[in-house]
Amino acid sequence: MEYILKNGIVYDPINEINGEKKDVMFKDGKIVNSVSDSAKVIDVTDKLVMPAGIDVHCHLAGPKLCVGRLYRPEDERRGVKPKTDITRAETGFSIPNCPATGYRFSRMGYGTVVEAAVPPLEAKHTHEEIIAIPNIDIPPLTLFGNNWFIMQFAKEGRIDDIAAFVSAWLKITKGYGVKIVNPCGSEAWGWGMNVHGIDDPAPYWDVTAREVIRALAQANEMLGLPHSIHVHPNDLGHPGNFPTTINSIDCMKDIKKNSEYRNQTIHLTHAQFHCYDGTSWRDVTSGVEPVADYINKHDHVTADMGQVTLDETTTMTADGPMEYDLYELTGLKWANKDIELETASGLVPFIYSGRNPVHSLQWAIGLELALMIEDPWKICLTTDSPNAGPFIRYPRVMSWLMSYQRRAEMMDNKEVHAWAGRKSALGTLDREYDFYDIATITRAGPSKIYGFEDRGHLGAGAIADIAVYDLEPNNFDPTRNAAAVEKAFSNALYTIKDGQVLVKDGEIVKIVSSKHVRTEVEGFEDEEKRILEEIMPFFNRYYTIKFENYVVHDHYAEPSSVYKVNASK
Amino acid sequence: MQANRGDVNVKQITLTPIKFSSVALEFDELIPDEIYSWSKEDFEKYEVPVGNSRFPLTDYYDIEVEGEAQSPEEVKMIIDGDAGRVKYIGGKMGAGEIIVNGDADLQAGAEMEGGSLTINGNAESYCGREMRGGEITVMGNVREYAGTSYIGEWRGMSGGKLTIHGNAGKQLADAMSGGEIHVMGNCDILAGIHMTKGFIQIDGDVTRWPGGQMKNGAIVINGRLERLLEGFELDAIVTDPEVEGRQFTGKYIKYIGDIGVNGKGTLLLNAEKNRHHL
Amino acid sequence: MAYEPPVTDYDEIVENCTCAFCGSNCDDVDILVKDNHVVGVRHACRLGASKIMEDEDQRLTVPMIRDENGELMEVDWDTALDRAAELIAGAVRPVFYGWSETSIEAMKPGLELTELVGAVIDNQATICHGPTVQAVQNVGYPLMTLGEVKNRADMVVYTGSNPMNAHPRHLARYTTFPKGFFRKRGRFDRTLVTWDPKYSDTAKLSDIWIPFEENGDYGFCNAIRAVLKGKELKQDFISGIPKEDIVALTEKMKNTQFGALFFGLGLTHTLSKQRNIDIAIQLVQDLNKYTKWVLLPMRGHFNVNGFNIFMAYEMGFPYGVDFCRGYPRYMIGETTTIDLLNRKECDVFMVIAADPGAHFPGGALAHLVDIPVIQIDIHWGPSTELADVVLPGTFIGVETAGTSYRMDSVPIYMKKAIDPPETCREDEWIVNELLQRVKKIKEASK
Repeated sequence: MEYILKNGIVYDPINEINGEKKDVMFKDGKIVNSVSDSAKVIDVTDKLVMPAGIDVHCHLAGPKLCVGRLYRPEDERRGVKPKTDITRAETGFSIPNCPATGYRFSRMGYGTVVEAAVPPLEAKHTHEEIIAIPNIDIPPLTLFGNNWFIMQFAKEGRIDDIAAFVSAWLKITKGYGVKIVNPCGSEAWGWGMNVHGIDDPAPYWDVTAREVIRALAQANEMLGLPHSIHVHPNDLGHPGNFPTTINSIDCMKDIKKNSEYRNQTIHLTHAQFHCYDGTSWRDVTSGVEPVADYINKHDHVTADMGQVTLDETTTMTADGPMEYDLYELTGLKWANKDIELETASGLVPFIYSGRNPVHSLQWAIGLELALMIEDPWKICLTTDSPNAGPFIRYPRVMSWLMSYQRRAEMMDNKEVHAWAGRKSALGTLDREYDFYDIATITRAGPSKIYGFEDRGHLGAGAIADIAVYDLEPNNFDPTRNAAAVEKAFSNALYTIKDGQVLVKDGEIVKIVSSKHVRTEVEGFEDEEKRILEEIMPFFNRYYTIKFENYVVHDHYAEPSSVYKVNASK
Repeated sequence: MQANRGDVNVKQITLTPIKFSSVALEFDELIPDEIYSWSKEDFEKYEVPVGNSRFPLTDYYDIEVEGEAQSPEEVKMIIDGDAGRVKYIGGKMGAGEIIVNGDADLQAGAEMEGGSLTINGNAESYCGREMRGGEITVMGNVREYAGTSYIGEWRGMSGGKLTIHGNAGKQLADAMSGGEIHVMGNCDILAGIHMTKGFIQIDGDVTRWPGGQMKNGAIVINGRLERLLEGFELDAIVTDPEVEGRQFTGKYIKYIGDIGVNGKGTLLLNAEKNRHHL
Repeated sequence: MAYEPPVTDYDEIVENCTCAFCGSNCDDVDILVKDNHVVGVRHACRLGASKIMEDEDQRLTVPMIRDENGELMEVDWDTALDRAAELIAGAVRPVFYGWSETSIEAMKPGLELTELVGAVIDNQATICHGPTVQAVQNVGYPLMTLGEVKNRADMVVYTGSNPMNAHPRHLARYTTFPKGFFRKRGRFDRTLVTWDPKYSDTAKLSDIWIPFEENGDYGFCNAIRAVLKGKELKQDFISGIPKEDIVALTEKMKNTQFGALFFGLGLTHTLSKQRNIDIAIQLVQDLNKYTKWVLLPMRGHFNVNGFNIFMAYEMGFPYGVDFCRGYPRYMIGETTTIDLLNRKECDVFMVIAADPGAHFPGGALAHLVDIPVIQIDIHWGPSTELADVVLPGTFIGVETAGTSYRMDSVPIYMKKAIDPPETCREDEWIVNELLQRVKKIKEASK
């Protein structure tokens, strides 16, 4: 089937198209340069056209999410919608049920959403949820930062073996890339402890975050994976944590990149939670300036925001000790889930409020990051959903980035506490994102960062994932119409996925299966086999499940989209 | 004939049961806020949710409508008979008056915001769940979870007044965070569990463990309490105490708890009837 | 126990099968197969082995419909499925109950069918660990996978459960006896504690037994929490336990390195029900201020947890979910099976992979006698006696592969060892057939 999307105003930063009026053509699910006369015409004259959105970091499928849904019926009943002839019933606000997750992303014009934390032992669960989520492609990141094998090999400096292990475990878990969460800290949580800074060793294992980050980064580049290591550093959410953040990035800057598409060797995720100065919640101030300055001066790092949206939400992370800290702070119901030999995790509901000084400062810090990091290719829009706010708020975050007036108004009329202005530089930042910048931080940048050569742009050969919004960029001032920006980005005029119209006028018109997007390394099979043979006795002794039953069977990962990587290159 | 309530004109809607359905009817749409402008014909056209279907309201009720209403405040709806299989009577209502001349089923007055609901019989579980305002009076007994929160929600009943002339079942007022409950009869276990604010008065006897895991708020028991939790610390014997702006006469034993959650809640027991705790 | 000689006459061994009995989901079971029959089972406990070994005499093999004389008559699949579909399509308050002994794959069309007709879908949690789920929803859920206990725990507490009888390999495989990475001497490195009014087989094995009185659970936990807060206990005995013993136990729990609390229906079904769990969870949360503690409910059926997980990710609520108004609604006591039956609301009841006939209270059963019951199961049981339509399924984990979730939420793909009897159909197929047939009826009546 051939289509021509006619006369839209196109923003496609990868192809350096900045608001040109042009047609976008696609055939059999792929973008093409020309179509025949029989192509179906979709008239989008003067409307805003972008590649479909890519979310670089979201928690949307898997065991943590499920604990959240299971133990927060009070969240689930927010956002309840009956089924329609096309859609199934929806529930939930911060942790929507799987069908709603797919619909809501699709309605915002998103096509690809990364699931940011998969514990290998329960990877099947993540893939089961991906099956239940419609309409978006989902690359899952596999957790490695507190894995016993990794910690042991990192201590012994066995980089080749880590590469073999990672290569094998990406296949076993059907994962896309390497995620590191509070390295060594989540293992310490196995004993109710934590580590602080990158040189504080994990109990017993006597290995540090510095060693684990470096080892995994080296292995990642040895394999030439499409994405770099994806790091949630130590000390998340602690006042005075910004040096740890800079150290985590700086400690591996000498490691050489092995990828032609992406620029970075480390991705710093939800940076907002890692940019605090001060010594306590009393004297906390923004620590964005030194972090942004570091990122501006170094090209081996990219980051995403982790923007606080000032909502009641559910926090969830593999950073188990952080969640217990949060429980002690709020007293709200605490869930925890430690995974044998691999990781920890925790959840606590959280109410971010503009009346609260700390939450308001956090709100300012996220925006500061996006405004102080000069190159929009180095920063992506996220809310670490649902941690700093649910993903349905992305359009609101866009509206804040596009309007200095709106930000100033929020600080002036007390929608946020005075700390937002007093303890950060946000009030002095008059930079405003334009549509090209928005397309960069939500499409083009994420595509580069993840090595998604086939998406995030509208060049010939790319998959036809396209979003059209009901805004006329040539006839609209986003700096003065924040509410209209939010409304338009919340309800796509069209969301097209693999060449099929899934959303029209903000409503779901078609359901398709989501693809499990994953990486397979080729040419490393012998090394994988050798390492599996070596670790198998240990595996059998200390896991509680047979290796045969540990592996994610193909059954759970259909349909798949596999990025093949040649390790010998 | 125009019914009259004080100086306000009242539109009186009377539903007289003619047929019993063992599958419960759901009355969440039949609240003054929705129906104040409805004519008799509107009611006769209305189909009420029953299980997975909707059936004409006239299958179950004779309907009388008298007078006019310009707003929900001017509505008086009477269910003139047993409503023991009618759920969500007065659910989310914001104004007006509903009277049930018989029993009411699950969720009577759930999430009520204003107005008044009177049940001249017993009420099933979840009566006054998450009530935010208004007044509910139950002349008979209530079963479990009266004035409670929704499962998992730590912000429960926050306003209004629930008066129970009979006895109350288990787990009255779970996670109560405001408002007032008065049980004139006896009360089963764990009244005011997880309570954070608000006021509960129980005139009859209580089996065990009022105020478990309570953080704040006040519970006054005028009858005899069997078992008290270790989480409550004796504070003082007080005479004629004032609690949350209400004056009580006589001697009371005052406890603070539940210390398991660092609670600052007040539990007052009538000293005369609870000597066994001293 | 009489000596049984080892089975030597078999064609093949299918290794690493997952036992389809309790929530331990032991996945190290070897099934011995000869001529497409199970002739032996290795590594499973006696409960698991006896379930896996075929018991042909009780096996449901052909579809049946109850005739006017009240006799179950054998019919072909089309007739039975059409009859079941008609009943479901015509129901006003249908309830689809069970699911805990079938696969996630079979639940999927089941949920779709539920949505389509506006039914209630519910599982055995409604009569077992439902109170646990409620408590979790109230105060949280600090849990772990079982390997954490195996590798780290130096104190293991069982309360309101007797795993030596109900989850026979739980202590041996996961918690107490195995040698863990940080517990190289296994049992010798751990303190085993049982809180239970009964001197159960688990209590007999324990280092410490705390026999609190029946219904004393809440008061007992409340007292430990008070001690943790530094309170001097006032009563000499709390829930039947001397206060000195409570203080001593509290000290031990505080000074362990890694403690794990396992609880069963003894907690969920005594006087204060979910509040026993509620306060036990808060106790574990308190203990984490001092050291590491986790807890886990001792789930019964091998996929009872799986259903709750499945429902949570599909529809946001774990069990007792009512679609009668077109959207999911979850309200314990209102949208839950026993209440709907006791109140005589339900008008068509479908049971899959469960035996309400054996487990439901009298009032609920009395109503089941009065309404049409559709049964999907592999064995003839008390529920068959109540059934009007019987649809014979296949045995997950032996005859049909599928996904289950262990009590600690670890997902396992249960493989098959033999082919199912030719006349039976997979649960997933049966439920999907019902879905398609009900769809057709609904479309025709539009």
